[in-house]
Amino acid sequence: MSARGRIRLRLALRNLRRHKRRSLLSGSAMVLAMALLVFSRTIAEGGHEEWIDSGVRMGDGHVSVQAPEFRTRRTLDYRLSPEARAAVRDALGSEILTERLVATAPRLMIQGLASSSAAALPALIVGIDPEAERVFSALDEKLEEGRWLEPDDRLRAYVGARLASRLKLKEGSRFVLTAQDAAGDITGQMVRVAGTFRSGIPEMDEGYIQIPITTAQEWLGVPGAATSEALLLRNSRDVGPVRRDLEASLADWEGDASVLEWRESMPELDAAVRMDDWADYVFHIMLFVIAATAIVNTILMSVMYRTREFGVLRALGLERGEVGRVVFIEGMILTAISGLFGMALGAAIVWGFFRNGLDFSAIWDMEMEAAGVVIDPVIVPRFHWNQILQSLAFILVIGSLASVYPAWRATRIDVAEAMKFEE
Amino acid sequence: MSGGNGNEVSTGRVRSIGTPAVRTEGLWKVYEHDGIRVEAVRDVTLTIEQGEFVVLAGPSGSGKTTLLNMVGGLTRPSEGGIWIDGIDVTSLSERDLARLRLERLGFVFQAYNLLPVLTALENAEFTLLLRDVPAEERRKRVEKLFERIGMGGLEDRRPGKLSGGQQQRVAVARAVVGEPALVLADEPTANLDTATSTALIDLMAELNRDLGTTFVFATHDTRLMDRARRVVRLVDGGIVDDDRRD
Repeated sequence: MSARGRIRLRLALRNLRRHKRRSLLSGSAMVLAMALLVFSRTIAEGGHEEWIDSGVRMGDGHVSVQAPEFRTRRTLDYRLSPEARAAVRDALGSEILTERLVATAPRLMIQGLASSSAAALPALIVGIDPEAERVFSALDEKLEEGRWLEPDDRLRAYVGARLASRLKLKEGSRFVLTAQDAAGDITGQMVRVAGTFRSGIPEMDEGYIQIPITTAQEWLGVPGAATSEALLLRNSRDVGPVRRDLEASLADWEGDASVLEWRESMPELDAAVRMDDWADYVFHIMLFVIAATAIVNTILMSVMYRTREFGVLRALGLERGEVGRVVFIEGMILTAISGLFGMALGAAIVWGFFRNGLDFSAIWDMEMEAAGVVIDPVIVPRFHWNQILQSLAFILVIGSLASVYPAWRATRIDVAEAMKFEE
Repeated sequence: MSGGNGNEVSTGRVRSIGTPAVRTEGLWKVYEHDGIRVEAVRDVTLTIEQGEFVVLAGPSGSGKTTLLNMVGGLTRPSEGGIWIDGIDVTSLSERDLARLRLERLGFVFQAYNLLPVLTALENAEFTLLLRDVPAEERRKRVEKLFERIGMGGLEDRRPGKLSGGQQQRVAVARAVVGEPALVLADEPTANLDTATSTALIDLMAELNRDLGTTFVFATHDTRLMDRARRVVRLVDGGIVDDDRRD
């Protein structure tokens, strides 16, 4: 650093120490803003991960492989053939995907009718592999009566509690599933209720039935086929790389298999997360404004107070821009130190008090449902260092922007007039 | 920057041989506020030779501080020319003016104007720091000067811990430590008691004699006027008398 640079730094540091109370007060506003920012971002990140995790477990996973038209036309004409499924399984064997994968689950999904002696109601009938689904889905935890499907089950069904109630079904009750098979014929299959579940999502509780996938394949005449292969990942941030890798591996199956992200397969959840993100952004902007106001106020006050001093510096040979730089450096030092303290404080609060989750059950005493997802009232904050560092970078940018005006004011001081200024 | 004549550079001192320390030619400073025209300095033509000990005297509002500020490059004149050591000040850019102030001028102000966050020693060596003079040489020069002005042992004190007279002595040290061609002092004794003023005037006269530094004061302090070898009187912005006592 040049001699002049060292002088500017020395003056800036000593001026901050000179008015300790003022610096501390402004610094604490920024520390608070940064701590709130860390708290808010970790809670938001934890909340979103919770939503996504809950959504993808109930739905088609973080990533799913389907026939290209299945998303819009949900019929068995658009299914993954046994060969396409084998290609997907091969692709999933790659090292990159294995590291990121928690579970995969094949599903055979068809719209049909559930009939009992009491009523006949529309339902989404999903053939599942109970063993794979146990790791994947959270539906087994929503058991209300009876039991979850077992790997040896053949003619058993796991039924939404409200659907079961309307069909007047209990554990062990028989009822008939009717749907269009692969040949286009209407075909029926009698099953018994293994258990009922209450997910908290009205659409599922009123019209969702799971049966073993082998039973569904046999019944609908599509042996070895599935309508989707759902993938559950360790981290929702891995969706992009996993998708790219899978697409590259399945390039030869372009017409038969397409890769979808949860944002595409669950657009309502995507919209909810984005909306919540926007609400967070608005909150963060407010925090940034508070921080910026504190900096502008402190530094500008300091500039006004030191008018004569800046005049002296100019008279002694400092250039206009150098005087501005002294002020700018003060703002940046105040911002950087406060930002780091704020980050540490925010992390300490989150880690010290909320690492096991922030319990909102006092505000809502039951699980809430939104965008097809059950929201747990306990939100576990999540640290992502890149996000925290991003916040720190934002604070530094805000600090530098907020220091520009006072620095500019300092450069505009008229030296002769400044000498008349009474401190 | 370049002077009118050849410049001699030795041990940090920059002087132009045979060139006046200050020359002004038809100098005016006019302020206009809300249509009211105030002529703070009117048609001042003045030459101050190297090594002079000059007082600009006059009542309040006579224009002596404005004239001093213009000579020091702190205020631009409305009209006329100023040459410091042969350099045309009015044609200099802001950056060159800052360099001129740093390398050829020293300032002493009525209110001392030391930087409160620096110690007495750091204040005194400030211009040397800006000129990138090595630390060892800086310390040597400042300590020598401090001994001479009776500030030895007070180097590490902040201005707030010094008396008015001590602060002004540090200000004088700051002004002369870089061995400038010209020291401009605006009412340097106004805030000091008689004994301290006399000591300070003695100090500046000594520095003028020993170092050959040109001193120009704006003051109405009669003690300082009595010690000056030349008193230029101003009234209403114009020179009314130029009394040389050599």
